[in-house]
Amino acid sequence: MADQYGVGIGWRPEIDGFVAELPGLRFAEVVAESVHAHGDLPAGLSRLLDRGVTVIPHGVRLSLGGAEPVDPERVRHLAAVAGRLNAPLVSEHIAFVRAGGIEAGHLLPLPRSREAVDAVVANVKRAQAELPVPIALEPIAALFDWPDDELTEADFLTEILDRTGAGLLLDIANVYANARNRGDDPLELLDKLPLDRVAYVHVAGGDEHDGLYHDTHTHATPQPVLDLVAELCRRHRPPALMLERDGDYPPAAELRTELDAIAAASGYPAIT
Amino acid sequence: MQDTWGIPGPVFIRLYVVALVVLAVGYFIHRRSRFRGKADPLIGNLGPQQVAFLNGGDRLAIYAALGGLRAAGLIGTGPQHTLVQTGPLAAGVTPLDAAIHNAAGRQIRTRDLGHDQWVRSALDQLREGLERRGLAISRSDLRALKLWSVGVGTLLVIGVLRAIAGSQNNKPIGLLALAMFFTLIVLVVISKSSRTSTIAAQKGMSELRTRHSHLSPQQSPAYATYGATGAAMGVALFGAASLYSMDPAFAAEAEIQRAAAAGGSGGDSTSYSCSSSSSDSGSSSCGGGSSCGGGGGCGG
Repeated sequence: MADQYGVGIGWRPEIDGFVAELPGLRFAEVVAESVHAHGDLPAGLSRLLDRGVTVIPHGVRLSLGGAEPVDPERVRHLAAVAGRLNAPLVSEHIAFVRAGGIEAGHLLPLPRSREAVDAVVANVKRAQAELPVPIALEPIAALFDWPDDELTEADFLTEILDRTGAGLLLDIANVYANARNRGDDPLELLDKLPLDRVAYVHVAGGDEHDGLYHDTHTHATPQPVLDLVAELCRRHRPPALMLERDGDYPPAAELRTELDAIAAASGYPAIT
Repeated sequence: MQDTWGIPGPVFIRLYVVALVVLAVGYFIHRRSRFRGKADPLIGNLGPQQVAFLNGGDRLAIYAALGGLRAAGLIGTGPQHTLVQTGPLAAGVTPLDAAIHNAAGRQIRTRDLGHDQWVRSALDQLREGLERRGLAISRSDLRALKLWSVGVGTLLVIGVLRAIAGSQNNKPIGLLALAMFFTLIVLVVISKSSRTSTIAAQKGMSELRTRHSHLSPQQSPAYATYGATGAAMGVALFGAASLYSMDPAFAAEAEIQRAAAAGGSGGDSTSYSCSSSSSDSGSSSCGGGSSCGGGGGCGG
Protein backbone atom coordinates (compact mmCIF):
# COMPACT_ATOMS: atom_id res chain seq x y z
CA MET A 1 0.00 0.00 0.00
CA ALA A 2 1.76 3.09 -1.20
CA ASP A 3 -0.77 5.51 0.28
CA GLN A 4 -0.84 6.53 3.91
CA TYR A 5 -3.97 4.98 5.33
CA GLY A 6 -3.33 5.62 9.00
CA VAL A 7 -5.22 3.65 11.62
CA GLY A 8 -7.80 1.02 10.68
CA ILE A 9 -9.63 -1.91 12.20
CA GLY A 10 -10.44 -5.51 11.35
CA TRP A 11 -14.03 -5.58 10.13
CA ARG A 12 -15.98 -8.36 11.78
CA PRO A 13 -19.76 -8.86 11.46
CA GLU A 14 -20.07 -8.66 15.24
CA ILE A 15 -18.80 -5.07 15.35
CA ASP A 16 -20.11 -3.97 11.96
CA GLY A 17 -22.16 -1.15 13.52
CA PHE A 18 -19.17 0.12 15.46
CA VAL A 19 -16.84 0.15 12.45
CA ALA A 20 -19.50 1.92 10.38
CA GLU A 21 -19.45 4.85 12.80
CA LEU A 22 -15.73 5.56 12.77
CA PRO A 23 -15.65 8.90 10.96
CA GLY A 24 -11.96 8.91 10.06
CA LEU A 25 -11.68 5.30 8.93
CA ARG A 26 -9.77 4.84 5.67
CA PHE A 27 -8.92 1.19 5.72
CA ALA A 28 -10.18 -2.06 7.18
CA GLU A 29 -9.48 -5.72 6.79
CA VAL A 30 -11.90 -8.61 6.39
CA VAL A 31 -11.29 -12.32 6.81
CA ALA A 32 -11.24 -13.43 3.17
CA GLU A 33 -12.90 -16.78 3.86
CA SER A 34 -15.91 -14.98 5.35
CA VAL A 35 -16.69 -13.19 2.08
CA HIS A 36 -18.56 -14.94 -0.73
CA ALA A 37 -16.72 -14.77 -4.01
CA HIS A 38 -19.92 -14.18 -5.97
CA GLY A 39 -22.87 -13.71 -3.59
CA ASP A 40 -23.86 -10.46 -1.93
CA LEU A 41 -21.28 -8.68 0.16
CA PRO A 42 -22.27 -8.15 3.79
CA ALA A 43 -24.23 -4.87 3.86
CA GLY A 44 -21.81 -3.24 6.29
CA LEU A 45 -18.87 -4.04 4.06
CA SER A 46 -20.61 -2.60 1.01
CA ARG A 47 -21.30 0.59 2.89
CA LEU A 48 -17.64 0.88 3.85
CA LEU A 49 -16.60 0.44 0.22
CA ASP A 50 -19.17 3.06 -0.84
CA ARG A 51 -17.58 5.42 1.65
CA GLY A 52 -14.25 4.90 -0.06
CA VAL A 53 -12.75 2.81 2.73
CA THR A 54 -10.07 0.43 1.45
CA VAL A 55 -10.83 -3.14 2.51
CA ILE A 56 -8.07 -5.76 2.46
CA PRO A 57 -9.00 -9.47 2.30
CA HIS A 58 -7.00 -11.37 4.90
CA GLY A 59 -6.76 -15.09 4.24
CA VAL A 60 -6.46 -17.56 7.07
CA ARG A 61 -6.88 -20.93 5.34
CA LEU A 62 -4.52 -20.89 2.38
CA SER A 63 -1.84 -22.83 4.27
CA LEU A 64 1.05 -21.25 2.36
CA GLY A 65 3.44 -23.02 4.68
CA GLY A 66 2.06 -26.46 3.91
CA ALA A 67 4.34 -29.08 2.39
CA GLU A 68 1.81 -29.73 -0.37
CA PRO A 69 1.03 -27.19 -3.10
CA VAL A 70 -1.48 -24.54 -2.18
CA ASP A 71 -5.08 -25.41 -3.14
CA PRO A 72 -5.83 -23.60 -6.44
CA GLU A 73 -9.51 -23.32 -5.51
CA ARG A 74 -8.64 -21.37 -2.35
CA VAL A 75 -6.31 -19.09 -4.29
CA ARG A 76 -9.05 -18.42 -6.84
CA HIS A 77 -11.42 -17.53 -4.02
CA LEU A 78 -8.92 -15.09 -2.53
CA ALA A 79 -8.36 -13.58 -5.97
CA ALA A 80 -12.11 -13.23 -6.56
CA VAL A 81 -12.62 -11.56 -3.19
CA ALA A 82 -9.78 -9.14 -3.88
CA GLY A 83 -11.52 -8.25 -7.14
CA ARG A 84 -14.90 -7.79 -5.47
CA LEU A 85 -13.44 -5.51 -2.82
CA ASN A 86 -11.26 -3.73 -5.34
CA ALA A 87 -8.45 -4.27 -2.83
CA PRO A 88 -4.94 -2.98 -3.53
CA LEU A 89 -3.49 -6.12 -1.92
CA VAL A 90 -4.32 -9.32 -0.08
CA SER A 91 -2.65 -10.89 2.93
CA GLU A 92 -2.04 -14.38 4.29
CA HIS A 93 0.01 -16.08 6.95
CA ILE A 94 3.35 -17.79 6.86
CA ALA A 95 1.94 -20.87 8.50
CA PHE A 96 0.24 -24.14 7.74
CA VAL A 97 -3.29 -25.08 8.73
CA ARG A 98 -3.51 -28.59 7.27
CA ALA A 99 -1.25 -31.51 6.54
CA GLY A 100 -1.95 -34.92 5.11
CA GLY A 101 -5.62 -34.02 4.69
CA ILE A 102 -6.09 -33.13 8.35
CA GLU A 103 -7.34 -29.62 9.16
CA ALA A 104 -5.63 -28.22 12.25
CA GLY A 105 -8.12 -25.38 12.66
CA HIS A 106 -5.17 -23.27 13.83
CA LEU A 107 -2.29 -21.42 12.30
CA LEU A 108 0.73 -23.61 12.96
CA PRO A 109 4.33 -22.34 12.85
CA LEU A 110 6.88 -23.61 10.39
CA PRO A 111 10.34 -24.80 11.30
CA ARG A 112 12.73 -22.03 10.24
CA SER A 113 14.64 -24.32 7.89
CA ARG A 114 15.82 -23.78 4.31
CA GLU A 115 13.47 -26.54 3.24
CA ALA A 116 10.54 -24.67 4.77
CA VAL A 117 11.61 -21.45 3.05
CA ASP A 118 11.61 -23.30 -0.28
CA ALA A 119 8.15 -24.72 0.37
CA VAL A 120 6.69 -21.33 1.37
CA VAL A 121 8.33 -19.56 -1.56
CA ALA A 122 6.96 -22.13 -4.01
CA ASN A 123 3.46 -21.76 -2.61
CA VAL A 124 3.57 -17.97 -2.51
CA LYS A 125 4.69 -17.94 -6.15
CA ARG A 126 1.83 -20.27 -7.09
CA ALA A 127 -0.59 -17.90 -5.36
CA GLN A 128 0.97 -14.79 -6.89
CA ALA A 129 0.48 -16.25 -10.35
CA GLU A 130 -3.29 -16.26 -9.79
CA LEU A 131 -3.74 -13.14 -7.70
CA PRO A 132 -4.61 -9.84 -9.39
CA VAL A 133 -2.86 -7.81 -6.67
CA PRO A 134 0.27 -8.11 -4.50
CA ILE A 135 0.26 -10.28 -1.41
CA ALA A 136 1.57 -9.39 2.03
CA LEU A 137 2.74 -12.20 4.31
CA GLU A 138 2.20 -12.30 8.04
CA PRO A 139 4.48 -14.21 10.38
CA ILE A 140 2.52 -15.81 13.21
CA ALA A 141 2.93 -15.95 16.95
CA ALA A 142 4.43 -19.25 18.02
CA LEU A 143 4.34 -20.69 21.48
CA PHE A 144 7.22 -23.01 20.62
CA ASP A 145 10.14 -23.31 18.21
CA TRP A 146 10.90 -26.38 16.16
CA PRO A 147 14.16 -28.15 17.06
CA ASP A 148 15.42 -28.04 13.47
CA ASP A 149 15.46 -24.25 13.12
CA GLU A 150 18.40 -23.18 10.97
CA LEU A 151 17.61 -19.50 10.47
CA THR A 152 16.82 -16.63 12.77
CA GLU A 153 13.31 -15.25 12.49
CA ALA A 154 14.57 -12.14 10.70
CA ASP A 155 16.62 -14.14 8.18
CA PHE A 156 13.76 -16.57 7.62
CA LEU A 157 11.31 -13.77 6.85
CA THR A 158 13.72 -11.67 4.83
CA GLU A 159 14.61 -14.61 2.64
CA ILE A 160 10.97 -15.43 1.95
CA LEU A 161 10.18 -11.78 1.16
CA ASP A 162 13.26 -11.37 -1.04
CA ARG A 163 12.58 -14.49 -3.06
CA THR A 164 8.86 -13.78 -3.56
CA GLY A 165 8.76 -10.00 -3.72
CA ALA A 166 5.86 -10.13 -1.27
CA GLY A 167 5.13 -7.42 1.25
CA LEU A 168 5.24 -7.91 5.01
CA LEU A 169 2.16 -7.82 7.17
CA LEU A 170 3.82 -7.27 10.51
CA ASP A 171 1.85 -8.30 13.57
CA ILE A 172 3.46 -6.20 16.26
CA ALA A 173 1.66 -8.19 18.96
CA ASN A 174 3.25 -11.36 17.55
CA VAL A 175 6.65 -9.71 17.70
CA TYR A 176 5.98 -8.87 21.32
CA ALA A 177 4.58 -12.32 22.15
CA ASN A 178 7.43 -14.22 20.50
CA ALA A 179 10.11 -12.07 22.09
CA ARG A 180 8.52 -12.33 25.49
CA ASN A 181 8.01 -16.08 25.32
CA ARG A 182 11.55 -16.67 24.02
CA GLY A 183 13.10 -14.15 26.34
CA ASP A 184 14.41 -12.09 23.38
CA ASP A 185 14.46 -8.35 22.84
CA PRO A 186 11.64 -7.42 20.42
CA LEU A 187 13.57 -4.32 19.30
CA GLU A 188 16.36 -6.53 18.04
CA LEU A 189 13.96 -8.23 15.66
CA LEU A 190 12.50 -4.89 14.54
CA ASP A 191 16.00 -3.68 13.75
CA LYS A 192 16.69 -6.71 11.56
CA LEU A 193 13.41 -6.82 9.64
CA PRO A 194 13.06 -5.07 6.26
CA LEU A 195 10.68 -2.42 7.63
CA ASP A 196 10.41 -0.69 4.26
CA ARG A 197 8.59 -3.81 3.08
CA VAL A 198 5.85 -3.52 5.67
CA ALA A 199 2.49 -3.20 3.88
CA TYR A 200 0.53 -2.79 7.09
CA VAL A 201 0.61 -3.71 10.72
CA HIS A 202 -1.66 -5.72 13.02
CA VAL A 203 -2.02 -4.53 16.58
CA ALA A 204 -3.79 -6.80 19.05
CA GLY A 205 -4.13 -7.78 22.65
CA GLY A 206 -3.24 -10.90 24.53
CA ASP A 207 -3.06 -12.44 27.93
CA GLU A 208 -0.54 -14.27 30.06
CA HIS A 209 -1.21 -17.86 31.09
CA ASP A 210 1.17 -20.05 33.07
CA GLY A 211 4.11 -17.85 32.22
CA LEU A 212 3.38 -17.76 28.49
CA TYR A 213 1.94 -14.78 26.68
CA HIS A 214 -0.94 -15.76 24.39
CA ASP A 215 -1.75 -13.62 21.38
CA THR A 216 -5.51 -13.93 21.94
CA HIS A 217 -6.96 -10.97 20.01
CA THR A 218 -9.71 -11.03 22.63
CA HIS A 219 -8.03 -8.80 25.20
CA ALA A 220 -7.13 -5.12 25.19
CA THR A 221 -3.80 -4.15 23.60
CA PRO A 222 -1.28 -3.98 26.45
CA GLN A 223 0.95 -0.95 26.91
CA PRO A 224 4.19 -2.77 25.93
CA VAL A 225 2.66 -3.55 22.52
CA LEU A 226 1.71 0.12 22.09
CA ASP A 227 5.27 1.07 23.07
CA LEU A 228 6.49 -1.29 20.39
CA VAL A 229 4.20 0.45 17.86
CA ALA A 230 5.91 3.72 18.78
CA GLU A 231 9.36 2.13 18.40
CA LEU A 232 8.40 0.68 15.03
CA CYS A 233 7.08 4.03 13.76
CA ARG A 234 10.21 5.79 14.99
CA ARG A 235 12.26 3.46 12.79
CA HIS A 236 9.99 3.38 9.75
CA ARG A 237 6.35 4.30 9.93
CA PRO A 238 4.21 1.81 7.99
CA PRO A 239 1.43 3.19 5.76
CA ALA A 240 -1.28 1.58 7.85
CA LEU A 241 -1.82 0.01 11.26
CA MET A 242 -4.96 -1.72 12.40
CA LEU A 243 -6.55 -3.05 15.54
CA GLU A 244 -7.23 -6.75 15.17
CA ARG A 245 -9.89 -7.81 17.63
CA ASP A 246 -11.48 -11.21 17.12
CA GLY A 247 -13.81 -11.74 20.02
CA ASP A 248 -14.98 -10.84 23.51
CA TYR A 249 -15.68 -7.38 22.13
CA PRO A 250 -15.67 -4.65 24.81
CA PRO A 251 -17.95 -1.61 25.03
CA ALA A 252 -17.54 0.84 22.15
CA ALA A 253 -15.79 3.39 24.35
CA GLU A 254 -12.99 0.91 25.13
CA LEU A 255 -12.50 0.06 21.46
CA ARG A 256 -12.31 3.77 20.67
CA THR A 257 -9.74 4.29 23.41
CA GLU A 258 -7.64 1.49 21.91
CA LEU A 259 -7.86 2.95 18.41
CA ASP A 260 -6.88 6.35 19.80
CA ALA A 261 -3.93 4.80 21.62
CA ILE A 262 -2.70 3.23 18.37
CA ALA A 263 -3.10 6.58 16.63
CA ALA A 264 -1.17 8.32 19.39
CA ALA A 265 1.61 5.73 19.38
CA SER A 266 2.00 5.86 15.59
CA GLY A 267 1.50 9.60 15.16
CA TYR A 268 -1.40 9.11 12.75
CA PRO A 269 -4.61 11.13 13.26
CA ALA A 270 -7.29 9.61 15.46
CA ILE A 271 -10.11 8.03 13.47
CA THR A 272 -12.74 8.05 16.20
CA MET B 1 -89.94 -28.40 -5.50
CA GLN B 2 -90.29 -25.31 -3.34
CA ASP B 3 -87.44 -22.78 -3.29
CA THR B 4 -85.84 -22.59 0.15
CA TRP B 5 -87.15 -19.43 1.87
CA GLY B 6 -88.86 -18.66 -1.41
CA ILE B 7 -85.53 -17.55 -2.93
CA PRO B 8 -84.11 -19.64 -5.77
CA GLY B 9 -80.62 -21.09 -5.07
CA PRO B 10 -78.74 -19.21 -7.83
CA VAL B 11 -80.27 -15.90 -6.71
CA PHE B 12 -79.38 -16.56 -3.09
CA ILE B 13 -75.81 -17.52 -3.83
CA ARG B 14 -75.37 -14.40 -5.96
CA LEU B 15 -76.74 -12.18 -3.23
CA TYR B 16 -74.59 -13.96 -0.68
CA VAL B 17 -71.40 -13.51 -2.68
CA VAL B 18 -72.19 -9.86 -3.41
CA ALA B 19 -72.77 -9.25 0.29
CA LEU B 20 -69.50 -10.96 1.15
CA VAL B 21 -67.56 -8.96 -1.44
CA VAL B 22 -69.12 -5.71 -0.26
CA LEU B 23 -68.19 -6.48 3.33
CA ALA B 24 -64.65 -7.58 2.47
CA VAL B 25 -64.00 -4.59 0.23
CA GLY B 26 -65.60 -2.23 2.73
CA TYR B 27 -63.39 -3.62 5.49
CA PHE B 28 -60.33 -3.39 3.29
CA ILE B 29 -61.00 0.26 2.35
CA HIS B 30 -61.78 1.19 5.93
CA ARG B 31 -58.65 -0.57 7.13
CA ARG B 32 -56.48 1.14 4.55
CA SER B 33 -57.76 4.55 5.45
CA ARG B 34 -57.21 3.94 9.18
CA PHE B 35 -53.78 2.39 8.68
CA ARG B 36 -52.38 4.91 6.27
CA GLY B 37 -50.88 6.96 9.08
CA LYS B 38 -48.54 9.86 8.61
CA ALA B 39 -45.11 9.52 7.14
CA ASP B 40 -42.81 10.52 9.96
CA PRO B 41 -39.48 11.93 8.87
CA LEU B 42 -38.27 11.60 12.43
CA ILE B 43 -38.95 7.89 12.67
CA GLY B 44 -35.23 7.38 13.06
CA ASN B 45 -35.44 9.16 16.39
CA LEU B 46 -37.78 6.61 17.91
CA GLY B 47 -36.46 4.84 20.96
CA PRO B 48 -36.10 1.04 21.00
CA GLN B 49 -39.26 0.51 23.03
CA GLN B 50 -41.35 2.58 20.62
CA VAL B 51 -39.93 0.66 17.70
CA ALA B 52 -40.59 -2.60 19.54
CA PHE B 53 -44.21 -1.64 20.17
CA LEU B 54 -44.75 -0.88 16.49
CA ASN B 55 -43.05 -4.10 15.53
CA GLY B 56 -44.59 -6.49 18.00
CA GLY B 57 -47.00 -4.77 20.35
CA ASP B 58 -46.84 -4.71 24.12
CA ARG B 59 -44.96 -7.93 24.44
CA LEU B 60 -42.06 -6.91 22.24
CA ALA B 61 -41.91 -3.51 23.94
CA ILE B 62 -41.49 -5.35 27.24
CA TYR B 63 -38.83 -7.60 25.72
CA ALA B 64 -36.93 -4.62 24.33
CA ALA B 65 -36.93 -3.02 27.76
CA LEU B 66 -35.76 -6.32 29.27
CA GLY B 67 -32.95 -6.46 26.70
CA GLY B 68 -31.78 -2.95 27.58
CA LEU B 69 -32.01 -3.53 31.32
CA ARG B 70 -30.21 -6.86 31.03
CA ALA B 71 -27.44 -5.42 28.87
CA ALA B 72 -26.98 -2.68 31.46
CA GLY B 73 -26.71 -5.35 34.17
CA LEU B 74 -29.76 -4.12 36.05
CA ILE B 75 -31.92 -7.25 36.07
CA GLY B 76 -31.45 -10.98 36.30
CA THR B 77 -33.54 -14.03 37.01
CA GLY B 78 -34.42 -15.58 40.35
CA PRO B 79 -36.16 -18.81 41.33
CA GLN B 80 -39.23 -19.96 39.41
CA HIS B 81 -38.59 -17.76 36.39
CA THR B 82 -38.98 -14.55 38.36
CA LEU B 83 -37.09 -11.38 37.54
CA VAL B 84 -34.81 -9.81 40.13
CA GLN B 85 -32.98 -6.50 40.32
CA THR B 86 -29.21 -6.71 40.05
CA GLY B 87 -28.38 -3.03 40.11
CA PRO B 88 -29.87 0.39 40.78
CA LEU B 89 -31.59 2.28 37.98
CA ALA B 90 -29.67 5.24 36.55
CA ALA B 91 -31.22 8.54 35.51
CA GLY B 92 -32.64 9.02 32.04
CA VAL B 93 -34.45 5.72 31.67
CA THR B 94 -37.89 5.40 30.09
CA PRO B 95 -41.06 4.95 32.17
CA LEU B 96 -41.27 1.36 30.93
CA ASP B 97 -37.69 0.66 32.09
CA ALA B 98 -38.55 2.08 35.50
CA ALA B 99 -41.79 0.11 35.71
CA ILE B 100 -40.15 -3.19 34.77
CA HIS B 101 -37.20 -2.60 37.06
CA ASN B 102 -39.64 -1.87 39.84
CA ALA B 103 -41.61 -5.01 39.04
CA ALA B 104 -38.36 -7.00 39.11
CA GLY B 105 -37.90 -5.67 42.65
CA ARG B 106 -41.14 -7.45 43.48
CA GLN B 107 -39.86 -10.64 41.79
CA ILE B 108 -42.57 -10.74 39.17
CA ARG B 109 -42.45 -13.26 36.32
CA THR B 110 -41.90 -11.97 32.76
CA ARG B 111 -45.21 -13.33 31.56
CA ASP B 112 -47.02 -11.37 34.29
CA LEU B 113 -45.35 -8.05 33.46
CA GLY B 114 -48.18 -7.10 31.10
CA HIS B 115 -50.63 -7.28 33.98
CA ASP B 116 -48.57 -5.14 36.33
CA GLN B 117 -50.35 -1.85 36.83
CA TRP B 118 -47.26 0.33 36.49
CA VAL B 119 -46.00 -1.55 33.44
CA ARG B 120 -49.51 -1.35 31.96
CA SER B 121 -49.63 2.40 32.34
CA ALA B 122 -46.12 2.82 30.88
CA LEU B 123 -47.21 0.76 27.86
CA ASP B 124 -50.34 2.87 27.44
CA GLN B 125 -48.23 6.01 27.57
CA LEU B 126 -45.93 4.54 24.93
CA ARG B 127 -48.85 3.70 22.70
CA GLU B 128 -50.56 7.05 23.04
CA GLY B 129 -47.37 8.85 22.00
CA LEU B 130 -47.21 6.72 18.86
CA GLU B 131 -50.90 7.29 18.12
CA ARG B 132 -50.37 11.04 18.24
CA ARG B 133 -47.54 10.73 15.74
CA GLY B 134 -49.71 8.70 13.37
CA LEU B 135 -47.55 5.64 13.74
CA ALA B 136 -50.04 3.50 15.63
CA ILE B 137 -53.79 3.41 15.18
CA SER B 138 -55.95 4.22 18.16
CA ARG B 139 -57.90 1.68 20.14
CA SER B 140 -61.18 3.22 19.03
CA ASP B 141 -60.16 2.85 15.39
CA LEU B 142 -59.17 -0.73 16.04
CA ARG B 143 -62.56 -1.35 17.69
CA ALA B 144 -64.36 0.26 14.76
CA LEU B 145 -62.50 -2.02 12.37
CA LYS B 146 -63.41 -5.07 14.43
CA LEU B 147 -67.10 -4.15 14.02
CA TRP B 148 -66.89 -5.44 10.44
CA SER B 149 -66.73 -8.89 11.94
CA VAL B 150 -70.34 -8.44 13.14
CA GLY B 151 -71.50 -8.08 9.55
CA VAL B 152 -69.39 -10.94 8.27
CA GLY B 153 -70.41 -13.13 11.23
CA THR B 154 -74.06 -12.41 10.55
CA LEU B 155 -73.59 -13.37 6.92
CA LEU B 156 -72.02 -16.62 8.00
CA VAL B 157 -74.92 -17.37 10.35
CA ILE B 158 -77.38 -16.72 7.49
CA GLY B 159 -75.34 -19.06 5.32
CA VAL B 160 -75.40 -21.78 7.97
CA LEU B 161 -79.18 -21.46 8.41
CA ARG B 162 -79.72 -21.50 4.65
CA ALA B 163 -77.51 -24.56 4.29
CA ILE B 164 -79.45 -26.38 6.96
CA ALA B 165 -82.76 -25.40 5.43
CA GLY B 166 -81.51 -26.20 1.93
CA SER B 167 -80.25 -29.65 2.79
CA GLN B 168 -83.52 -30.42 4.58
CA ASN B 169 -85.15 -29.34 1.35
CA ASN B 170 -82.83 -31.70 -0.61
CA LYS B 171 -81.20 -28.82 -2.45
CA PRO B 172 -77.52 -28.83 -3.45
CA ILE B 173 -75.46 -26.63 -1.11
CA GLY B 174 -71.94 -27.14 -2.52
CA LEU B 175 -71.52 -23.58 -3.78
CA LEU B 176 -72.93 -22.17 -0.59
CA ALA B 177 -70.47 -24.25 1.44
CA LEU B 178 -67.64 -22.85 -0.65
CA ALA B 179 -68.88 -19.28 -0.16
CA MET B 180 -69.19 -19.92 3.58
CA PHE B 181 -65.63 -21.15 3.66
CA PHE B 182 -64.46 -17.81 2.22
CA THR B 183 -66.71 -15.98 4.67
CA LEU B 184 -64.99 -17.83 7.47
CA ILE B 185 -61.58 -16.80 6.17
CA VAL B 186 -62.63 -13.14 6.02
CA LEU B 187 -64.02 -13.41 9.52
CA VAL B 188 -60.81 -14.91 10.86
CA VAL B 189 -58.71 -12.23 9.15
CA ILE B 190 -60.84 -9.47 10.69
CA SER B 191 -61.05 -10.93 14.17
CA LYS B 192 -57.44 -12.00 14.43
CA SER B 193 -55.98 -8.77 13.15
CA SER B 194 -54.24 -7.07 16.04
CA ARG B 195 -51.68 -5.02 14.19
CA THR B 196 -51.48 -1.50 15.45
CA SER B 197 -48.66 0.04 13.43
CA THR B 198 -49.67 2.11 10.43
CA ILE B 199 -48.35 1.61 6.92
CA ALA B 200 -46.15 4.67 7.41
CA ALA B 201 -44.71 3.07 10.53
CA GLN B 202 -44.13 -0.25 8.77
CA LYS B 203 -42.23 1.53 6.04
CA GLY B 204 -40.17 3.28 8.67
CA MET B 205 -39.51 -0.08 10.32
CA SER B 206 -38.01 -1.57 7.22
CA GLU B 207 -35.74 1.45 6.85
CA LEU B 208 -34.69 1.10 10.46
CA ARG B 209 -34.02 -2.61 9.97
CA THR B 210 -31.70 -1.79 7.09
CA ARG B 211 -29.97 0.97 9.01
CA HIS B 212 -29.48 -1.29 12.02
CA SER B 213 -28.70 -4.45 10.07
CA HIS B 214 -25.63 -4.87 12.27
CA LEU B 215 -27.99 -5.74 15.14
CA SER B 216 -29.49 -8.71 13.30
CA PRO B 217 -28.87 -11.91 15.30
CA GLN B 218 -27.47 -13.41 12.10
CA GLN B 219 -24.41 -11.18 12.57
CA SER B 220 -23.99 -12.36 16.19
CA PRO B 221 -23.71 -8.71 17.24
CA ALA B 222 -21.25 -7.75 19.96
CA TYR B 223 -23.93 -6.47 22.33
CA ALA B 224 -21.33 -5.29 24.83
CA THR B 225 -19.97 -2.97 22.13
CA TYR B 226 -23.37 -1.65 21.12
CA GLY B 227 -24.46 -1.05 24.72
CA ALA B 228 -27.88 -1.21 26.35
CA THR B 229 -29.58 0.89 23.67
CA GLY B 230 -28.16 -1.27 20.90
CA ALA B 231 -29.30 -4.42 22.68
CA ALA B 232 -32.80 -3.02 23.12
CA MET B 233 -32.94 -1.87 19.49
CA GLY B 234 -31.85 -5.33 18.37
CA VAL B 235 -34.78 -6.88 20.20
CA ALA B 236 -37.11 -4.18 18.89
CA LEU B 237 -36.21 -4.71 15.25
CA PHE B 238 -35.33 -8.40 15.10
CA GLY B 239 -37.54 -9.88 17.80
CA ALA B 240 -36.98 -12.06 20.81
CA ALA B 241 -34.35 -14.08 18.93
CA SER B 242 -32.03 -11.17 19.74
CA LEU B 243 -32.48 -11.79 23.45
CA TYR B 244 -31.53 -15.42 22.93
CA SER B 245 -28.53 -14.38 20.89
CA MET B 246 -27.45 -11.87 23.55
CA ASP B 247 -28.01 -13.87 26.70
CA PRO B 248 -29.48 -17.33 26.12
CA ALA B 249 -29.45 -18.32 29.79
CA PHE B 250 -31.33 -15.20 30.85
CA ALA B 251 -33.79 -15.46 27.95
CA ALA B 252 -34.58 -19.08 28.76
CA GLU B 253 -34.84 -18.46 32.50
CA ALA B 254 -37.10 -15.47 31.93
CA GLU B 255 -39.27 -17.59 29.61
CA ILE B 256 -38.92 -15.22 26.71
CA GLN B 257 -41.11 -16.41 23.84
CA ARG B 258 -38.63 -16.98 21.10
CA ALA B 259 -41.14 -16.50 18.31
CA ALA B 260 -42.14 -12.98 19.33
CA ALA B 261 -41.91 -10.90 16.14
CA ALA B 262 -39.03 -12.98 14.87
CA GLY B 263 -38.92 -11.65 11.34
CA GLY B 264 -40.44 -8.46 12.57
CA SER B 265 -43.27 -8.31 10.05
CA GLY B 266 -46.62 -8.33 11.79
CA GLY B 267 -47.40 -7.38 15.32
CA ASP B 268 -48.33 -10.16 17.67
CA SER B 269 -51.35 -9.99 19.84
CA THR B 270 -50.88 -8.80 23.35
CA SER B 271 -52.84 -9.42 26.45
CA TYR B 272 -54.42 -6.01 26.18
CA SER B 273 -55.56 -6.12 22.58
CA CYS B 274 -56.87 -9.59 23.22
CA SER B 275 -59.11 -8.57 26.03
CA SER B 276 -60.42 -5.60 24.09
CA SER B 277 -61.01 -7.59 20.92
CA SER B 278 -62.97 -10.29 22.67
CA SER B 279 -65.18 -7.73 24.31
CA ASP B 280 -65.88 -5.55 21.30
CA SER B 281 -66.25 -8.22 18.67
CA GLY B 282 -69.22 -9.13 20.79
CA SER B 283 -71.13 -12.33 21.15
CA SER B 284 -73.23 -11.75 18.06
CA SER B 285 -70.32 -12.06 15.68
CA CYS B 286 -69.24 -15.19 17.41
CA GLY B 287 -72.25 -17.25 16.51
CA GLY B 288 -70.16 -19.14 14.02
CA GLY B 289 -68.22 -20.68 16.85
CA SER B 290 -64.82 -21.88 15.78
CA SER B 291 -63.88 -18.68 13.98
CA CYS B 292 -64.28 -16.55 17.06
CA GLY B 293 -61.87 -18.02 19.49
CA GLY B 294 -61.13 -14.61 20.88
CA GLY B 295 -58.67 -16.30 23.15
CA GLY B 296 -57.11 -18.30 20.35
CA GLY B 297 -54.67 -15.62 19.37
CA CYS B 298 -53.90 -14.90 22.96
CA GLY B 299 -51.75 -17.83 23.77
CA GLY B 300 -49.02 -15.54 24.98
